[in-house]
Amino acid sequence: MSDARERDDGPDDKRGVSRRGFLSSVGTGALTLAAARQAAAEMPPPTEVVQATELTQVTLLINGRRHQLLVEPRWSLAYVLRERLGLTGTKVGCERGECGACTVLIGDAPCYACMTLAVEAEGAVITTLEGLMHGEDLGPTQQAFAEEDAYQCGYCTPGQIMAAEGLIRADADPSIEAIQHGMAGNLCRCGAYAHIFRAARRAAELRRGEGGAS
Amino acid sequence: MLPTFAYIRAQSLDDALKHLAAGGARVHAGGTDLIGCLRDHVFHADKVVSLSAIPGLRGMTAGRNGALRIGALTTVAEVARDATVRERYPGLAQAASDVASPQLRHQGTIGGNLCQRPRCWYFRGEFHCLRKGGTTCYALAGENQYHCILGGARCYIVHPSDTAPALLALGAAVEIAGPRGRRTVPLEDFYVLPSTDVERETVLAQGEVVTHVVVPRPGAGVRSSYRKVRARGSWDFALAGVALALRFDADRVVDGRVVLSGAAPVPWRSREAESAIIGSRLESAVCRRAAAAAMANAVPLKRNGYKIPLFTGLIEEELEKLGRA
Amino acid sequence: MTPERDERYWEEGLDIPQTPVPSGDPEPWKQTRIVGTLRPRVDAYERVSGTAVYPSDVVLPQMLYGAILRSPHANAVVKGVDASRAQALPGVRAVISAFTPTDRSIRGHETLLREELFVPQCRFEGEVVAAVAADTPYQAADAIRAIAVEYDVLPFLADERRALDSDAPLVHETGNRVSAPGRYSRGDVEGGFAEADVVLEREYRTEAEIHTPMELHGCVARWDGDALTLWESTQGVFSVQAQVASALDMPLSKVRVVGHYMGGGFGSKLQPGKYTLIAALLAKQTARPVKLFLTREETYLAVGNRPPNNMRLKAGVKRDGTLTALDFYATGTGGAYRAGGTGALDWLIRDLYACTNVRIETQDLYINAGPARPFRAPGHPQCAWALEQLLDELSDAIGMDPVELRLKNVPSVSQGRGNAPYTTTGLAACLEEGAKAFGWREARTALLRQPDDAAVRRGVGMAAGLWVAGGGGPPSTAIVKLFADGSVNLNMGASDIGTGTKTVMAMVVAEELGVDPDAIQIEHADTGTTPYATGSGGSKTVPTESPAVRAAALDVKRQVLDIAAEEMEVAADTLTMRDGKVVSTADPTVERPIAELRGLRARGTVTGVGYRGPNPEGKAVNPFAAQFCEVEVNRRTGEVRILRFLGAHDSGRVMNRLTYQNQVFGGITMGIGLAMTEERVLDVDQTGKMVNINWHDYKIPTALDVPAEMTCLPIDRPDDEANTTGAKGIGEPATIPTAPAIANAITHAIGVRVTDTPATPARVAQLLADARKGG
Repeated sequence: MSDARERDDGPDDKRGVSRRGFLSSVGTGALTLAAARQAAAEMPPPTEVVQATELTQVTLLINGRRHQLLVEPRWSLAYVLRERLGLTGTKVGCERGECGACTVLIGDAPCYACMTLAVEAEGAVITTLEGLMHGEDLGPTQQAFAEEDAYQCGYCTPGQIMAAEGLIRADADPSIEAIQHGMAGNLCRCGAYAHIFRAARRAAELRRGEGGAS
Repeated sequence: MLPTFAYIRAQSLDDALKHLAAGGARVHAGGTDLIGCLRDHVFHADKVVSLSAIPGLRGMTAGRNGALRIGALTTVAEVARDATVRERYPGLAQAASDVASPQLRHQGTIGGNLCQRPRCWYFRGEFHCLRKGGTTCYALAGENQYHCILGGARCYIVHPSDTAPALLALGAAVEIAGPRGRRTVPLEDFYVLPSTDVERETVLAQGEVVTHVVVPRPGAGVRSSYRKVRARGSWDFALAGVALALRFDADRVVDGRVVLSGAAPVPWRSREAESAIIGSRLESAVCRRAAAAAMANAVPLKRNGYKIPLFTGLIEEELEKLGRA
Repeated sequence: MTPERDERYWEEGLDIPQTPVPSGDPEPWKQTRIVGTLRPRVDAYERVSGTAVYPSDVVLPQMLYGAILRSPHANAVVKGVDASRAQALPGVRAVISAFTPTDRSIRGHETLLREELFVPQCRFEGEVVAAVAADTPYQAADAIRAIAVEYDVLPFLADERRALDSDAPLVHETGNRVSAPGRYSRGDVEGGFAEADVVLEREYRTEAEIHTPMELHGCVARWDGDALTLWESTQGVFSVQAQVASALDMPLSKVRVVGHYMGGGFGSKLQPGKYTLIAALLAKQTARPVKLFLTREETYLAVGNRPPNNMRLKAGVKRDGTLTALDFYATGTGGAYRAGGTGALDWLIRDLYACTNVRIETQDLYINAGPARPFRAPGHPQCAWALEQLLDELSDAIGMDPVELRLKNVPSVSQGRGNAPYTTTGLAACLEEGAKAFGWREARTALLRQPDDAAVRRGVGMAAGLWVAGGGGPPSTAIVKLFADGSVNLNMGASDIGTGTKTVMAMVVAEELGVDPDAIQIEHADTGTTPYATGSGGSKTVPTESPAVRAAALDVKRQVLDIAAEEMEVAADTLTMRDGKVVSTADPTVERPIAELRGLRARGTVTGVGYRGPNPEGKAVNPFAAQFCEVEVNRRTGEVRILRFLGAHDSGRVMNRLTYQNQVFGGITMGIGLAMTEERVLDVDQTGKMVNINWHDYKIPTALDVPAEMTCLPIDRPDDEANTTGAKGIGEPATIPTAPAIANAITHAIGVRVTDTPATPARVAQLLADARKGG
């Protein structure tokens, strides 16, 4: 936070200039996004300290699209998805990693977006609920949740669907025990678990191409 | 909402160590414990130093003498599902599978799991307790149902890790890098009781990070297990847990460790239980004696007296089970 | 904005506007084509694709983020608020408190700010002290932490069991009793006990529970000049509108509340919060839209709870199973304000079983904790915890099967309402058919063969229940609009809180108009565009709204058939609507597609209005339930695993088998939370603060805490006397018998009774250890 602390770190000796000072100007709005992008393309991956209240540029790969934006170090991926990018399929229930409403896939693994700093998500392949759609058509896991009525209020549903998606990507034919364990990181206060288990099983069937269209 | 902090994603261990040298710098591995602590204002970070981009800290390799060397950034999920771990160290595989929730196992790292801060609700809550530099341990006269029955003094936390007791039972050590070089510390010597230092849980000094966990090759006849009793099926720390790593000669225990979780401010090695079983077959009477011995020195607080019968039953059950395995 | 407003919402006879009585009720459905089937939601696509916009998803241009500073003390007086540091922080746009100068734009609300919103004496941890608006939620949180408050910290009371001690701190100057004890009696209780062969007396306690719906409490507020729009996560947009308009002294027409989707409430979102007004005032002062959703931690402190209850129950029974007397004494607390700490707590004692001699005394007490709000079946699960456990002990004492004992005492009239007959009671059917489907007797016999000394033992348990409300009633108005192509729009004010209201109503319209439910567009829960509806709570939404919707659809149908009769040259009363056509009931080959009706095309739309008629006079309309479960208990560790559950429910006609089943499973799951894991923990001896204000320390059931398979057994009996669709409520009755059914199963397994919730391994291990010592 204090300027004194920044100076402790000294200039980046590799380039002989302080990238820190360079990035600081992003926070003041002096640097345009385009310029930042250009700079990023020219330079090796930065290892500079981003100061606490300054904005830094990140490139996030979300649902197959690259999003470049400026973030504070403390912004969570959940906040960026919902409030900055309008991807409100990802929900927020606790911001403490204790409910699973913000579950997204990083690679193929379900992760809590509220416990992921946006700056840490750079370079990761991120999939949100919106990313399971095929155009306007539902993906198989979404279809299964709809068929089995695997929700009540629906607020935990996006996270449940992402957890189920991650589960069946790792295990094409999960047992009921595997489903219960795989879905144990997502709370449903309405208590739709019994239907969620059925949906996870159905999703695996649909994904394997069994039991009808999708 | 998180408070402000400066951030750097270090590209090498040296780079990270340079940034971590300053007071107020904190390590980000998987981030799950760090972000929780920052959100709850358990401590402040001037600067968060991320290790996630450093090559060589993630994954498992063969160590010396057949040991398994686990990079500190290996996720708990990777440990839990690793074929070698499951085959050679079933206790560790079980412990890793019992951690938190699937998502947190994907995000959290083995190094972070060993170094996580306690879950005491006073420590995590808006209470300026002893461990946060205050003058009072609120648990002592307060809501201490989840607190320790062994090893408490001034502060009565329990150590939250599941993998730590399993690794300690298996005789694991941690490799540490810091401003003054590298060192290897047996896990048994890694944790610090509040009587030694009430503000930290490990021997790590400012600027030091755990880089690897080394688990020795189990000798012939070693069986290991971990079992955790909790108030709810997921996302929960141990009310009582026991990690066993015992070496059998035929059906007789010749050597080994009994380590408790949810019992003490550190993963608690019960030498009393160990001496009660070493040299014996794990018959009911022996298991019962060992369980009683493990609890012989336990001193419950006002609201956690249940831990004594619970641990007694649990240890007995687990010893019998491993004896039959 | 006092918390007691909705305290007694479940009781009948509320002073609310009444809709006109419909002229000539329709005949009950004899056969249905759509109603009663198993149907996924009409809004399933929105819910699984992420296109459903919940209030917390609303993002508006120029929107700011609000946050609230709350008292960290259980009892304190705010002496001063210094916001100067906060105001200087980057991004901060407004700070309001009782001590900050009021901006010109919100002048006129000083009294509201000083005396109603930011009260000087904070009687519970979490009472509001100040609020901010900033460019990002992070900056708002920074600002909250930068506000300096001077508190005069006062002694507190955090345990209602100490409220009447002579040295107990007083929550209010008038004392710690909310009011004089509630009393009820009938018959001669002492005489009843004298008649009994067995008399037992036991004490029970249920811990306070927190609702914690998945979507946080909050809203987005936007002003357009003198008009306010609120997107609020609520169970009832009209109650939010009424309370906000009244507090801000605005015409109802200028307060529009929209709540299309909402992420759960369970009773805690039947009313707006102080946060609603704070969002409105911050938006006014900054002239920007403001989004204000609480943090999860705040929701543990300030937006309701299920009160903890201490119950002493004494009951007498004859050897033949006749209940001769019930004597019930209970205390409870709704926190620091009048909020129903013992509300409806005694109803099962009064009404569930036939018993001539009953005496009840309840005492509601104050403590320094957040005010209660209605929580799914207020009072009932707590009372069931006591009554249904004691019934089990009585059946044991007289050597009678627990199901038999209950069957022996099934009443046909509502004794608590002066013996008014029930329109229908399926209690006996729930017990008999539930026991049969569960395999109750077989399981009890089989379990007798378990070795006494087994480390892990199984047990089965059951419990019954009824819900005091669940019949619904007026007012309700619904509007159905048929377009020229035969597609339909349904307009109603009710919120769909996740129970499937929209789907059920679409099915009702589809039933009458012969259209596909998915072809019905629904406009709902918006005070600006839909007719008045009461909040969705009390398990009354389907029985309240569906008759009005049916009436509106019938109004449309009458008009369409009149048009068709003229064009088809047949009598209107020989026609009906089916599969998008008008069809003759006499000759099915005589038909005409709705889209080809010239008269309809000429009008563009046909609109029907429907009202909810009154309930039958002098009758009680209640849903009934019995649940059965099997558990496994590890006698060494006290761990309890629930292996299976069956819910047998009489909620009248089953409108949608799929959402009905979902409600039953959800009720059971919530009941598992009460029985097994949930407990508000206050630091009673030191600070009075709640120590488990998050989802890790306050444990609600996860996927690993519920049995993998549950069974729903509907006792599908249309209650034609209750209303014109024959439905009764299901949401609340589904959670009433669950916890005592589990407790009874645990006792069956290990012979030890768990009289206090929750039955964690900690508690059960201790009880087993005590039993070993004692026995």
